Amino acid sequence: MVEIAKLARTLDNAAHRARATRQLSENTKYTLDDAYDIQAASIQRRLDRGEKRNGMKMGFTSRAKMVQMDLNDMIWGRLTDQMMVEDGDTISIKNYVHPRVEPEIAFLLKRPLGYPCTAAEALSAVDGVAAAMEIIDSRYKNFKFSLEDVVADNASSSSFVVGPWCPPDSNLDNLGMVMEFNGRPVQIGSSAAILGHPVRSLVAAARLTAESGERLEAGWIVMAGGATAAEALRPGVNVRNTVEGLGSVAFNVTA
Amino acid sequence: MATKKEKAITDAARKIRNAWKNGKTIKPIRDSLPKGDLEAAYAVQQTNTDIWIKEGRRVIGRKIGLTAKAVQTQLGVDQPDYGIIYADMAVVDGDEINFSAVSQPKAEAEVALVLADDLDGEQITLLDLIDATAYALPAIEVVGSRIAKWDINILDTIADNASSGMIVLGTRPVLLDDIDLRICGMVMENKGEQVSVGAGVACLGNPLNAAVWLARKMVDVGMPLSAGDIIMTGALGPMAPIGPGEVIEARISGLGSVRAAFSD
Repeated sequence: MVEIAKLARTLDNAAHRARATRQLSENTKYTLDDAYDIQAASIQRRLDRGEKRNGMKMGFTSRAKMVQMDLNDMIWGRLTDQMMVEDGDTISIKNYVHPRVEPEIAFLLKRPLGYPCTAAEALSAVDGVAAAMEIIDSRYKNFKFSLEDVVADNASSSSFVVGPWCPPDSNLDNLGMVMEFNGRPVQIGSSAAILGHPVRSLVAAARLTAESGERLEAGWIVMAGGATAAEALRPGVNVRNTVEGLGSVAFNVTA
Repeated sequence: MATKKEKAITDAARKIRNAWKNGKTIKPIRDSLPKGDLEAAYAVQQTNTDIWIKEGRRVIGRKIGLTAKAVQTQLGVDQPDYGIIYADMAVVDGDEINFSAVSQPKAEAEVALVLADDLDGEQITLLDLIDATAYALPAIEVVGSRIAKWDINILDTIADNASSGMIVLGTRPVLLDDIDLRICGMVMENKGEQVSVGAGVACLGNPLNAAVWLARKMVDVGMPLSAGDIIMTGALGPMAPIGPGEVIEARISGLGSVRAAFSD
């Protein structure tokens, strides 16, 4: 019997205290379903402290990454209001274990989105689309983990920052993206890297939440997944992601 | 009496020319030239340019290579390089390319610029380039190497006409007014499978920056760009290998798409 509550507490504490912990799989054998139960229990602890659920994040949405990890499906994690960093705000590296940042695209839903749904139906539920970044921060030592470990750890999700919402009326399938540290490009890509089209990630988000007995709700934000490799954060950098046609989003990092 | 260096240049040029002709790869030529001597490598390229033009090949433009920071770092250089584009290297969008036409082919998605005016002035600026540009086209450059296994350093690639092969141009001209070449997204697919993604900024920060570098360089070396010339400005993302029978499609946001199809 896998001790879901105990493992959830371990990860929640690690996140809360910004201290790395051992990979759960080192001492416990558990399944992918168990991993999602641990994630849910760990996030429930945050909700019990007053945080509000406000969305979900998709992981492993690049085919290259799926192949690299030998996976055949994406993973996902839960977002809360406390994970949200305001556009232009400053974060302290002290609140993280070993944070990295990925350029992304975010969707804001205007109505609930169940599954099955088509890409067209998914898009019709979208209120806005924005340039975004996710700060991922594995709670595991050395950013190393098994698939079950990373799922239990909320898919490494830590914080996210979303730029101004734009109407979802432009073609999203090939938007140029450049992430800069202090004005110098560190990652360059295209929204095409997100499953070929970010809306496919939104459909997958609807499917995965439905499979877990939840539903994407009105007002939620869906982070569609990284468009490039992640970059390690360090104090003193201004981080900015610019997306073709969607503008920019930025934050600063201090010690 | 040819100096030792002149002889080395002539020999390297002949080896490369023969490799182009018979489709066989050769060993790297870098060790026959003085270490790090870029001018000697360009002299090798120029030797072949002179011979090929005499043989009747028509110059239609230039290509810029090594425009990605990562590639420059990998080859230990801080500048791009250039090669000559001949009329016989240009293929029509979607037309079938004989798979053996290019040695060890790989594909890169690029922005091509076509000039309306000569760029033969001194101290050319970005404004001169913008004014002289007629339009932009999406393009695929099929790069190749006459050097076995692409075992190249900077001297090998310069000498080998900047590892050029074929170019395929899209067919809808776009004015520079209508596209942001810095942030335009790029995706390249091989039979529908994504093989490369990127954006304009990957090419020296902006494909126009690369073109300005080229225009200045061409004035320096006495072969200024002229009206009608095509500039292949450099890759917007990583290059991708090509196999027999494969079809590469590149899409550049705001510029449209272009295809390179290969025979079995």
